Amino acid sequence: MSDMVETALGVFERQLGRPLEAALEVCARCGVCAEACHYFQAEPTVENTPVARGEALRRVYRAEHDFLGRIAPWWVGAERLDEASLTRLAETAFSRCTLCRRCTFNCPLGVDTPLMMRAVRAMATAAGVAPEILVMLADAAIEKGRSPEIFRDLFIEQMTDLEPELRQVTGNPQARLSVERPGARVLYVALAGVHTILPPAIIFTAAGEDWTLSLFEAANYGVFLADPGRAKQIAARIVDEAKGLGVEEVVLAECGHAYAALRWEAPTWFGGSFPFRVVSLVEKIDTYLTQGRLNLDPRAVRERVTYHDSCNMARSGGVIEEPRRVLRAIAPDFVEMTPNRHEALCCGGGGGLVALPEYEDLRLRAGKPKADQVRRTGARTVVAACENCRLQLGDLNRHYGLEVEISAVADLVVRAMRPADLNEEAVSVRAEAIAA
Amino acid sequence: MSDKSRTVLDLKGLLCPMPVVKLALAMKTIPVGAIIEATASDPGVVADIPAWARSSGNELVTLDKVADKEFRFVVKRLK
Repeated sequence: MSDMVETALGVFERQLGRPLEAALEVCARCGVCAEACHYFQAEPTVENTPVARGEALRRVYRAEHDFLGRIAPWWVGAERLDEASLTRLAETAFSRCTLCRRCTFNCPLGVDTPLMMRAVRAMATAAGVAPEILVMLADAAIEKGRSPEIFRDLFIEQMTDLEPELRQVTGNPQARLSVERPGARVLYVALAGVHTILPPAIIFTAAGEDWTLSLFEAANYGVFLADPGRAKQIAARIVDEAKGLGVEEVVLAECGHAYAALRWEAPTWFGGSFPFRVVSLVEKIDTYLTQGRLNLDPRAVRERVTYHDSCNMARSGGVIEEPRRVLRAIAPDFVEMTPNRHEALCCGGGGGLVALPEYEDLRLRAGKPKADQVRRTGARTVVAACENCRLQLGDLNRHYGLEVEISAVADLVVRAMRPADLNEEAVSVRAEAIAA
Repeated sequence: MSDKSRTVLDLKGLLCPMPVVKLALAMKTIPVGAIIEATASDPGVVADIPAWARSSGNELVTLDKVADKEFRFVVKRLK
């Protein structure tokens, strides 16, 4: 047995607990999961069924843990792991499953195929056969946490450069875009890019929030690698920062996996709860609306609007009605895709796939059911509260000629702000810039 | 535009994480010791590129803001 295979099997054994064993043992082969999967909907082949993906790992499991699997592997469909089968498993787990969990929700027995695919991703990462780009992005994020001095000054300078625009748009000469300000009530964690910084900054300012910006980004590529060691180091940058500043709340950018990871998974990595709340920006905007802290024009967004549920935000995160309440408050012609909410179809960009150019063709093909769904709504604007979804929807828009605008929730909210909150002239300039 | 020792990369208009992804892919195509000169519009590069260079064992030679929403950086392949 090679070192690579031994390492992978070691990781597999360490992950075997009740949830994974249940997923490996209880499948009834009914095939209901097939229709739930967007890969199968796009291209109905056996290899595109969740049950087939799971079966590949079950063969390895039987070879290691089933008595018959050891003495008569052909009888029970057992197969010893070798380098070739590990590479095939890894390819499947990283390219043919976005970990969207729609199959699990539709399985009569609740078989968690994405949990099995995460196990394979963890095996592949430890054995050195995970996609190089995901490893590189995770390691670069960890390096940011180790050496913030290499970018801190230039980053703060860029944020200071944005303050004149923030003051102009909000009409508030006191508006600031502070970074890591001690004493702030809220720590906002954006993504790497001004498009996830300025619109929330406008909203926080209009709502009178006491907030500051994180030096780090919300994305966590360790999650896509199913590597809790890397994922914890990436999350620790934000956890330590929030603790150091003493904030009450961490508000995460519109990013599905970042929310599911820091809100639901990270506390277990750190052995308990955090001394601050973790909420998504969408939840925060919804709260501001409920509290009457934003003055929005209910007819501001005149075109037909639909909302795409990010799998991590909705199915895994439980953020389902908040974005809808916000959109209904500003877009009278808001329509739903069918199906939606916890039954929503994955766009095909999750699980880190949008960052992997080698799988672009497969990703676009797997996104066709979502593209068809968007087209059926007749919407001109598609809103998603997840950066990976927006990148994928943008690619689907171009590939399938949907002729829609892709927007974050925060962008539309800024468009709907009334002059009481904003400098109207500047907002119209900003809205045009966002649309462009 | 590129020769063996110098490659020019236009990353303008790309959002996180694509500037780093494209840079890393381009890095594999050049020999050790060669450089890439890139321009990007996303301010996220001021944090991402230095961290990527350090974690990947390459050298960030310069990184400057050259205009509003335009950043220029030079990286050298070391291994």
